[in-house]
Amino acid sequence: MTDMCSYGFSRDETLIAYLYDDIDPQARSAFDGHLATCALCRDELTSLQGVRQQLARWAPPSPSVVVNSQQSAADRRRATDSTPSESHVSTVDRERPTSNRWWREIPAWAQVAAALLFLGVSARIANLDVRYDQNGLAVRTGWSTPVPASAAGAATRAGTTGVTSNAASREELAALERQLRAELRGAQTAARTAVAADAPARSASGGSDADVLRRVRALLDETEKRQQRELALRIGEVLRDVNAQRQADLVRIDRTLGVVENNLGVEVLKQRQSLNYLMRVNQRP
Amino acid sequence: MTWTDEELVAKSIRGDADSFNELVLRWERPIYALAYRTIGREEDARDVCQETFLRAFRALPGFRGQAKFSSWLYRIALNLCRDWVRRERRTPVVQPPEDVDVMELAAAAEPSESIEDLVARHDLSRAVERAMTLLPEEQRTAIVLKEYHGLTFQEIADLVGCPLSTVKTRLYQGLAVLRRELAKNTKATL
Repeated sequence: MTDMCSYGFSRDETLIAYLYDDIDPQARSAFDGHLATCALCRDELTSLQGVRQQLARWAPPSPSVVVNSQQSAADRRRATDSTPSESHVSTVDRERPTSNRWWREIPAWAQVAAALLFLGVSARIANLDVRYDQNGLAVRTGWSTPVPASAAGAATRAGTTGVTSNAASREELAALERQLRAELRGAQTAARTAVAADAPARSASGGSDADVLRRVRALLDETEKRQQRELALRIGEVLRDVNAQRQADLVRIDRTLGVVENNLGVEVLKQRQSLNYLMRVNQRP
Repeated sequence: MTWTDEELVAKSIRGDADSFNELVLRWERPIYALAYRTIGREEDARDVCQETFLRAFRALPGFRGQAKFSSWLYRIALNLCRDWVRRERRTPVVQPPEDVDVMELAAAAEPSESIEDLVARHDLSRAVERAMTLLPEEQRTAIVLKEYHGLTFQEIADLVGCPLSTVKTRLYQGLAVLRRELAKNTKATL
């Protein structure tokens, strides 16, 4: 493309400088004149401007914490003023809203109301019953509290729709509770039968609870003693290994020192011979 | 009262820790953005950003104001990015998630933006990110500094240590590659 344009060898650099408007006025007006006559440069300039527009869409992900210093303060500050670089940086560098911003934008009173509503619903579901009387504060939850029949009857007699429906649900729950209690009793009876059947076997092996406890303790004592013996054995082995290694190291050090001394002696001998030779040479006329 | 960078630097050197915090608050996002666009990994970009400020803090007593504080900071960050690329012995990798989380995107949407525009914007951002990974490090750095940080050609030349004409050439060549790659992407989506 360049070889078909008459601008000259610096055409690409000038085009880029023109594109970013980082060009001195003289060169700019000269290139303006060239653009009026060169369709190739005009087209390329337009396409590069398109590339720049596309580049402006690339935004880095919003970091949760960049530098560990007062991120919230940074957020506050950025909301009010822009940084020196951001004033000339394209819009992509401005902070994007994070995915949990909607939560922060809910007013405090609405958050409190939501929390109270949640607590109320939870208390209703858990059948929370808070009472304060001469016996003190009592908090009870769950469905196991039996509903007095008189209360249910009184509720029915009250005749209001809300109370009637409440009493009906309590009756249903009372029936459910009775059914559960019956099932529980059945299960307990079955368990007792099984224990009774198992009793002769336990008595045959001499196993009352106290007896079993004694045997378990004896087993535990025995295990503890065995572990202590094993530990003492291990410690003895480690000490023996350490001593053996120490002896071996001492022998090695002795041997190394001997070799060093030998080498040193040889060196000293050589030095002395050299000195003697030099003295002899010096004494000659 | 708004202090200039250089004033804050002087106060930091005298031992005012708040002044350095102010500098961090002022520059952490541009430095993070520079690191992310240069190396393409969120975690590593965060590390580079933190290391940049740590090194700047340590070297602050030696800062004599020959260059602008921002240029000095950019130089530290760029050197760390270059070290990262050499250490990892690979070109920057950008691995955006394949699936598009529409809810997350919607949170980032402009009030008047439709969901189609939103997804298109997201796709374009990913395409640009991919295309940028194809560029040699020098071209990529030149484009990031010029396009996203608005540095002058001379500032870029001083930062990366090359002649002015080389910066312009790198930009031209880099933009030419991006134009080609983005055109491919546009054709593929049509």
